[in-house]
Amino acid sequence: MKTINIILKSLKEQIRSYWILLLSLSMGPFFIFVYFLIMESSKPQYTVLVANNDQGMLFSGQTIKHGNDLITYLKNFKVDSIALPLTVNEVTDKTMGIESLKNKKADALIIIDTTFSQSIQERKSGDSASVVNVEFVGDLTNTNYLISAVWANEIINEYALQATNNKRIVVLKETALGTSATASSFDMLVPGILIVSLIMLMFTASIAFVSEVENKTIMRLKLSKLNVFEFLAGISFVQLLVGIVSVLLTLLTAIILGFKYEGSLTIMVIIASLTSLSIIAFSLIIAAITKTANEVLVVGNFPMFLFMFFTGAAFPLKSDALFILAGYPINIQGLMTPTHAISALNKTLIMSMDISSIFPEIISILVLTMFYFLVGGIIFKQRHLKLT
Amino acid sequence: MEALIIIEGLKKRYGEFTAVDGISIDINCNEIFGLLGPNGAGKTTTISMICGLLPVTEGKITFTNCNGKDKKSMIGYCPQENIFYPKLTCLEQLLFLGQMYGIPSNTVKSRAFELLNLLGLSDKTHVRASKLSGGMKRRLNICLALVHDPEILILDEPEAGLDPQSRILVRDFIKAISEKKTIILTTHNMDEAERLSDRVAIIDHGKLLLLDTPNNLKRTVGEGDVLELVLESSNESSMKTFSENIQLLNMNIKINVDAVFIKHSNIIEQLPEIKNVAERNGLKIAEIKLRENTLEDVFIHLTGRNLRQ
Repeated sequence: MKTINIILKSLKEQIRSYWILLLSLSMGPFFIFVYFLIMESSKPQYTVLVANNDQGMLFSGQTIKHGNDLITYLKNFKVDSIALPLTVNEVTDKTMGIESLKNKKADALIIIDTTFSQSIQERKSGDSASVVNVEFVGDLTNTNYLISAVWANEIINEYALQATNNKRIVVLKETALGTSATASSFDMLVPGILIVSLIMLMFTASIAFVSEVENKTIMRLKLSKLNVFEFLAGISFVQLLVGIVSVLLTLLTAIILGFKYEGSLTIMVIIASLTSLSIIAFSLIIAAITKTANEVLVVGNFPMFLFMFFTGAAFPLKSDALFILAGYPINIQGLMTPTHAISALNKTLIMSMDISSIFPEIISILVLTMFYFLVGGIIFKQRHLKLT
Repeated sequence: MEALIIIEGLKKRYGEFTAVDGISIDINCNEIFGLLGPNGAGKTTTISMICGLLPVTEGKITFTNCNGKDKKSMIGYCPQENIFYPKLTCLEQLLFLGQMYGIPSNTVKSRAFELLNLLGLSDKTHVRASKLSGGMKRRLNICLALVHDPEILILDEPEAGLDPQSRILVRDFIKAISEKKTIILTTHNMDEAERLSDRVAIIDHGKLLLLDTPNNLKRTVGEGDVLELVLESSNESSMKTFSENIQLLNMNIKINVDAVFIKHSNIIEQLPEIKNVAERNGLKIAEIKLRENTLEDVFIHLTGRNLRQ
């Protein structure tokens, strides 16, 4: 019953401190929006110039110009109905094209030979000795040239095969895992940012705990019949609600901006709830070693920095496993629950794996949460709630 | 009188420093017990040990006559500093704190309304504590100490920061509840202690100096009541003789330009003799003023005039 009273009181205080609440809740959606803008502005786009020297040929009374057809084909080429990040522009001659390459206005120059149409037609008629000549010009040290050249080469080959009524000898079949075929870079970042929105809980939760110390109202609670568990449970529950609302708002913002997920929303909420609890538990450690909200803001910055940038929350992070436990790799970042939460969310939302596949992550989060609560609870009681 | 709190040889040490040094006091049921002392005397430390907020280094505090109540339910503490939840209304925090003592909602609600009414905060029931004036916050602080209906109320400087009207209200309130509760109050305000306390303990440097009723203390401690004689005319030689004669009667005398101050524990009974001595020495008295020995005189006599930290 006292826990319910603590929840109601804490809820009122949280709502009445609406500026802190608004800032905390808006941080996740804000991060999503910023990442969306970054991704949109940094999408790769390759520019290919084509100098069409093809003179065409007369066939059955008609002039055939395969060079023109190739340019149209290049411009309209799509893979599984998705346009390539390739911009195709025509130039009048090679010199002009090279000038553009030197000025970094284009990534590659394709020069269609004067005999292009003739060679295609000869191949089509069964002359296997005939060679279709196309020249590629570009800066070989530039990655953009390499990517542009690979794409252009594939498209030209495809056109040549179709124009000469031939088929590929090797046909590759690519099978994508989960939504990875259609997932954008933005989609891949969203699980991490969902966890960022929960990491921000570190401040509101720490301040919720420490405000009792700062206002000295902890003295009144110490003199009352409230026990440590009821106190911690009450405040944690309200912060858990804040965490769930925050992550749902962040997810909603991501969906509005085009995020596509495949996994279960229920599993996502379970992971978010467990992660929220772990952040609240860690906040208790911060509250235990501080006495004021100002101290929380100073001291809390360090763990927040670690949680955001060394767990893969703010951006993907690779690290070597220290050891493998029951098939689950454990690394140094594994001491921070967001590492496991992000892994679980990636498996669920991107790879659409079921709950059984994230058991190791869930167990890791639970174990670490209990550890955080134990350490925080003991220190908090010793420093702030001890009564003789 | 039955003792409700028995304090025996109470000591509190912080390393080498002894904040409370072997205090032994019995505090009786339904009395108002004043704890006086200069800053750093050990009053708040003693109170904190009684509440259980500080561990005792040595000695014992026993609560008798608990009526089956636990210690937490028995004690209500109103600290010197106003401590409350600024974001909650007066009623909300009284309800919340009452519930923390396990009191049913209905009971705590009626108790909260009663307390707000008694301490003149009825019209602020639904106002957030942060919006209250200093005096109102102080009164809310007292309400919070009483919401669980404790048998012992400990008030640390209850009248600090109150305007005269509020001071009278709080004083009357304390007097009224003392019929049913035991009250321990610490104060620097000697007038407050004198008006309210049934008994007063004066402590300094962690030691108990004296414990008695305010009247007994005033009667037995210090230089006594003060008689001021305003003179119409006097000369140096007659004044000198008068002074010597007064000192022969075991009274302290201090001479100013046109007035004489005489101190004695029972000055009223000595007044006819003083007038005779004055007339014999040719001194004409224009006015006689009498000031009783106060608790402040007693306090200063015991603790000295040196400033404390």
